[in-house]
Amino acid sequence: MWAVFELQWVRLKRNPFLVLSFLGLTFVFVFLLAGSQADQKMTVHTFTDQLSEPQMAEWLDLLNDSDTLTFQQSDREDVVDLIEAGRISFGLHVDEEQFHYLVGHQSHYQIAVDQHVQRVFQETLRIRQVAEQTGITDIQGRVEEALEQPLMSIDVDALKGDASQADAERFHVVIGMTLYFAIYTILITISSIIIQKRDGTWNRLILSPVKKTKIYLGHLFYCFLIGFLQIVVSFALFHYLLGYDFGDQFGAIVLVLIVYVFSIVALGMFLMGLIQSPQQLDAVNPIVATGMAMLGGAFWPIDLISNQMMIALSRVMPIFHGMEGLKGAILFDQGITELLQPLSILLLMGVLFMGIGINLMERDTKI
Amino acid sequence: MLEVEGLKKKFKTNVAVNEVNLYLDKGESVGLLGPNGAGKSTTISMISTLIKPTAGKVRYQGKNILKDPNSIRPILGVVPQEIALYELLSAYENVKFFGKIYGLKGKQLEQKIDQVLELVGLQDRKKDLVKTYSGGMKRRINIAVALLHEPEILIMDEPTVGIDPQSRSYILDMVRKLNQEKGMTVLYTSHYMEEVERLCDRVYIMDHGQIIASGTKEELKSILSSEETVLIEVDQTSSAMLDALNELTAIQQVTEAPKGYKLIVSKGANVLADVFSLAETMDIKITSAHVEVPTLEDVFLHLTGRKLRD
Repeated sequence: MWAVFELQWVRLKRNPFLVLSFLGLTFVFVFLLAGSQADQKMTVHTFTDQLSEPQMAEWLDLLNDSDTLTFQQSDREDVVDLIEAGRISFGLHVDEEQFHYLVGHQSHYQIAVDQHVQRVFQETLRIRQVAEQTGITDIQGRVEEALEQPLMSIDVDALKGDASQADAERFHVVIGMTLYFAIYTILITISSIIIQKRDGTWNRLILSPVKKTKIYLGHLFYCFLIGFLQIVVSFALFHYLLGYDFGDQFGAIVLVLIVYVFSIVALGMFLMGLIQSPQQLDAVNPIVATGMAMLGGAFWPIDLISNQMMIALSRVMPIFHGMEGLKGAILFDQGITELLQPLSILLLMGVLFMGIGINLMERDTKI
Repeated sequence: MLEVEGLKKKFKTNVAVNEVNLYLDKGESVGLLGPNGAGKSTTISMISTLIKPTAGKVRYQGKNILKDPNSIRPILGVVPQEIALYELLSAYENVKFFGKIYGLKGKQLEQKIDQVLELVGLQDRKKDLVKTYSGGMKRRINIAVALLHEPEILIMDEPTVGIDPQSRSYILDMVRKLNQEKGMTVLYTSHYMEEVERLCDRVYIMDHGQIIASGTKEELKSILSSEETVLIEVDQTSSAMLDALNELTAIQQVTEAPKGYKLIVSKGANVLADVFSLAETMDIKITSAHVEVPTLEDVFLHLTGRKLRD
């Protein structure tokens, strides 16, 4: 087994281009999609019909106290033009003590914006009300001073942790893209079995005294390690270069990765069993990897999808459970016990795919 | 040493190999001769435990190896028809890897690597990547890999396909040396009659998945002992002449040759007078005529009515 395992590394050393290019592509895509999103704020076009310039500036100051949203002053006409052109889905209309939305079409971002705007309006209007009633002009300063030494503090534990919407979105892209590109690398690496079958070297291995199980194990362990290392290196770069906090559940993250990579290696074996040539595999790889990532929610959160059939399909994609497991460990601080469900499903998928795959590969005439 | 009994392989409706029986004695060099598609590769794939037969048995020292392939694999060296090597690795790395999977290690492995590379004449190019080798050099490394663990039985599936005459001669000499000096048992398949004639003590002739004749080279040629091959060269060939020759009762078979006709006639029959007279009436000039000693090619032609490379 170790001779076969070692051989794969020698071959990789001689021709590292393919695997390295996929590693590189992973980083490029993840940095572009997730890295850029780390600093990206959503712009909300805001206009008024009644407020003066200083009044509007005051509201914009208050509203812009957000990590994820930027409120930009616009004219009503400009906002209407942008909505009509389909470039934005909605605009915010601010008046003295109320706000409205000018909506072109429904967007899930509007919910997040609305929550923020409502909170800012409620706080500001309450403070103004208190100031009017008590006559104290610097009520805001006093509130902030009082909050520094509160009389009592309340810890709130939500059912599913305390990750912010922004964190959830950033990590969704990092996890989704990393797991997606790992599928490519694993499937391409595992295709060396088919290539060896075509060029006859596989038969030489079969005719040697080494047991077939060990030959498979040597190859599969190598594929597993390549996929696992790609994800670990990717996460490490995000942690050390971009400051992403992957939390404290190190053991749970590693375990989810192990089970996820195993399930993808097994899926690769299943595909090897179905196809006959490396050319077929080249055609199947992108379809499987991208299709699975789309259906499994790697590109966008599954919560956005309402179609019941699509939701049901997502549940049979290993990437969905891999993402659930990793998000649970990273964003919601869940340990191994709490992650038993995705872990067990991935393990079950891995065992099933591997069993069927090996049987399909050996179904022909081999002794 | 090795016996094959009633071997059969069916791929869906196509019977590739049908009721093949053969044996190999220790130290023998046996040829399996047949045209492309005769079923030679399928037969040796079954003998070498690579594919499972539909029916039949392969016995090594009395034991059915199909039930326990691992009992024969360590003593078997198989040279496949294709170049089964890792092209991105050097010759040394290829040989070393295959040595390792046969359980060789350390000093013993290094010694064996040196020996086989010396044997195939590639010691000085051992560090070069296989992809940079010529076809003949690749073929030689392909053989070296099968020899590293010093197998008792060497099975070679058309090991000289597509290479230059010099490399072919080198390989044939090497195989002869392994058989004669090291006592290695060789099963050699080819559709090149001259290779099998040069290398093998005994020959099995195969066609359409079946063994159609077997024996020593002399035994096979004696099939034609009651016949003679007469080669006639003429200044111009014609289908009328071919038809006329076919009608001569003393001639058993007529085929076109490069400059004339090849006639198979009963031994002692005097056909030349009839042939000359026929040529004269058809205004054809006979430029030469001679009686040939039969070859395995003639035997194959006699048995199947086709040439080996048809």
